[in-house]
Amino acid sequence: MKVLAIAINNLRRMLRERSNIFFVFIFPIAIILLIGAQFGGGVDPAVGLYLGDDGRVATEIATEIESDDRLSVIRYEIEEDLVSAVERGHIQGGALLPAGMDEVAASGEQVDIGFVARPDGFGQQLQQVVAAAISRVMTPVTAAQFASVETGADFFVALDVATSGAMPAPGLSVETTALGEAVFPDTLGQFDLGAAQQLVLFVFLTALAGSAALILTRQLGISHRMLSTPTSLRTIVVGEGSGRWATGMVQGVYIMAATFLLFRVNWGDPIGAFLILVTFAAVGAGAGILMGSIFKNDQQAAGVAVVLSIGLAALGGSMIPAELFSPTMQNVAHLTPHAWALDGFAELVRRGGTTADILPELGVLSAYALVLMLLSAWRLRIAITRP
Amino acid sequence: MSAATRIAAKDLRLRLRDRSAIIIGIIAPLALALILSTVFGGAFDAGSLDLHYGIVDLDQTEISEAFSGALGEIESQGILTVTEFSDATSAETAIEEGEIRAYYLIEPGLGEAVFSQQNFTVEVIGDIDAPTSAQIATSIAEQFGQGISTGQLSVGTAAVLTSPPPALEQVGIWAGKAGQADQSFTMTDVSAETRQLDQTTYFAASMAVFFLFFTVQFGVLGLLEEERDGTLPRLLAAPIGRTSVVSGKAILAFALGMISMTVLVVATSLPPMQATWGAPLGVLLLVVACVLAAVAIMGLVASIAKTPEGAGNLGSIIAVTLGLLGGVFFPLGQGDDFLSKLTLLSPHAWFMRGMGDLAGGAEWTAGLPAAGVMLAFALVFGSIALVFLRRRLWQ
Repeated sequence: MKVLAIAINNLRRMLRERSNIFFVFIFPIAIILLIGAQFGGGVDPAVGLYLGDDGRVATEIATEIESDDRLSVIRYEIEEDLVSAVERGHIQGGALLPAGMDEVAASGEQVDIGFVARPDGFGQQLQQVVAAAISRVMTPVTAAQFASVETGADFFVALDVATSGAMPAPGLSVETTALGEAVFPDTLGQFDLGAAQQLVLFVFLTALAGSAALILTRQLGISHRMLSTPTSLRTIVVGEGSGRWATGMVQGVYIMAATFLLFRVNWGDPIGAFLILVTFAAVGAGAGILMGSIFKNDQQAAGVAVVLSIGLAALGGSMIPAELFSPTMQNVAHLTPHAWALDGFAELVRRGGTTADILPELGVLSAYALVLMLLSAWRLRIAITRP
Repeated sequence: MSAATRIAAKDLRLRLRDRSAIIIGIIAPLALALILSTVFGGAFDAGSLDLHYGIVDLDQTEISEAFSGALGEIESQGILTVTEFSDATSAETAIEEGEIRAYYLIEPGLGEAVFSQQNFTVEVIGDIDAPTSAQIATSIAEQFGQGISTGQLSVGTAAVLTSPPPALEQVGIWAGKAGQADQSFTMTDVSAETRQLDQTTYFAASMAVFFLFFTVQFGVLGLLEEERDGTLPRLLAAPIGRTSVVSGKAILAFALGMISMTVLVVATSLPPMQATWGAPLGVLLLVVACVLAAVAIMGLVASIAKTPEGAGNLGSIIAVTLGLLGGVFFPLGQGDDFLSKLTLLSPHAWFMRGMGDLAGGAEWTAGLPAAGVMLAFALVFGSIALVFLRRRLWQ
């Protein structure tokens, strides 16, 4: 089996290179971890909170804002840090609770709370959410101020009464319902989306970067020497192709297994997921061989490989899900194999589909693979036999 | 012309003739910045929310109209827009067609409930994929509700604190006063400047700095290549100081970096991207500081590697890791958590931060702090690299 020998040799060469261990095995997992930690489970708008003191009113407001599970609340110890975080866009907005709010409230005056927002972004809109939380705390304060003035009772005694819950419940409650089917359901794990996105990005990247190895094989005359042995051209072409495909498969299976074990990533129906990987790795192998046969300089090929693999991945929805694209951009996205592979994973993971449900995606990926394989076989024959 | 500049000029001609440096230094960052800003810019507008709400008022009383009035007041501040719908079905269709994000449904009975101090529920129906919009809609209704219950709570608290219990007449007077009373808090806008890049400029800057580290590698690796190819001993045999040989390569790396960054800043400022880089002097300062830091770090990598291939691989790992940490693909960390502090170890992060400081029309001096940090990087790593490289040349 000379095909197998060539393929295995290709794989071995890839694994021997220590920097490949980093880019093929460590780096993708690190990115999946970072993306999951940063964006997993949706991004809640972030607001900052600065407390001038830890008085009763300030503490209650802080607790109320922090209990809002749709907000990601970050406390700042220094007022300027909060303002600068808003200015740099690290948080959308921030509330500045001044020192001495208890005394101001007790004296019957209005407490003045600062809200930091930028003219752009949606900090101003978010102020409504913070104001609602503050007003939940300040309603009893308003009532206590009123009662203390009218009855001469101590403000804090009145506040205890107002917050005791013995009073009639708020006259108006608000109930929120969500309409439609979520593009990203709540059942989607923290790392699920990012894992599939990075899988296709890196399998394709590794495949294209492999074109440099093929160029080196040609430059060093290994291909020519292989041809001088009783090895047919077809065997060499199929062997090189299988080697690139096997590299993609090793990396893909590794990413699937590692993310499943480390982050409990749900890959959906295992057969379906495996078939997507098989066809997608074949697309990558075809593209990698094609590049390796067209370029003569491995450094140039490496540069073009980075541009193509990151560019196509971005267009195909590996960075921002294609579901969030405009309709035009969604059509553009589906010119890339990445979008089809990600559609397949979305069907398996988010909608619980089986292999039968992803037949269209598998079909498109197979067609891509076939066309690229034929093209690359043709170009490689020419490249190897050229004197 | 000194020996160092002569070596640099010779190598520069070679590198520009070999298209690899042009692909990595100019074509790759330009193409990716264009693709990324198109993809990300088309997906959503730089973090803004378009709040279009609907209201279905089936109650049609003083109270429900007061609510519409409160919404109208917020609308006049330019924060949101409100459209009236006659029934829930048409409002739901509007959500499905993406015309509005959420709508308020006020069933008949709100007015009556408020007057008789009964509880009443206002419904907010929102698009499931726009949770923040629905949340803001809910918060607005809650604030309105709090306004109503404040009066009730004020009278109730006063009544509990009075013994013997107050007369009905007194309660009536209180209710009138409580309705007029001010809320116990106000919110004041604290203005903030924009120190964040817009989407297009962000990717123009981030791709430029990401590929910069690979571009300067073409320069610093030259020394190892001369060593491998056996031309280094010949160079050293010539009446040239060792420092000149090392600085020749450093000057080349610096020149390649500066050419790449300058072309990128100019090209991304033109259509179709039209990135808005800040004050030119500030941009120049940050670019020079960043190129120096890149030369120093990649020089250090070259000084400890055994072969040009090894240096290339280690350099790629370091460039990619620092780039990821520096937020060239997506901003890392939130607030001042551990991850955010970690990013400060990356010159990429300081470059992006400096460019952000220049955004929004700041003076060129706004770029000084970030440039200073990058120069410190350059000084520290550059000195270590120089010591290592000189020692290597002696052996």
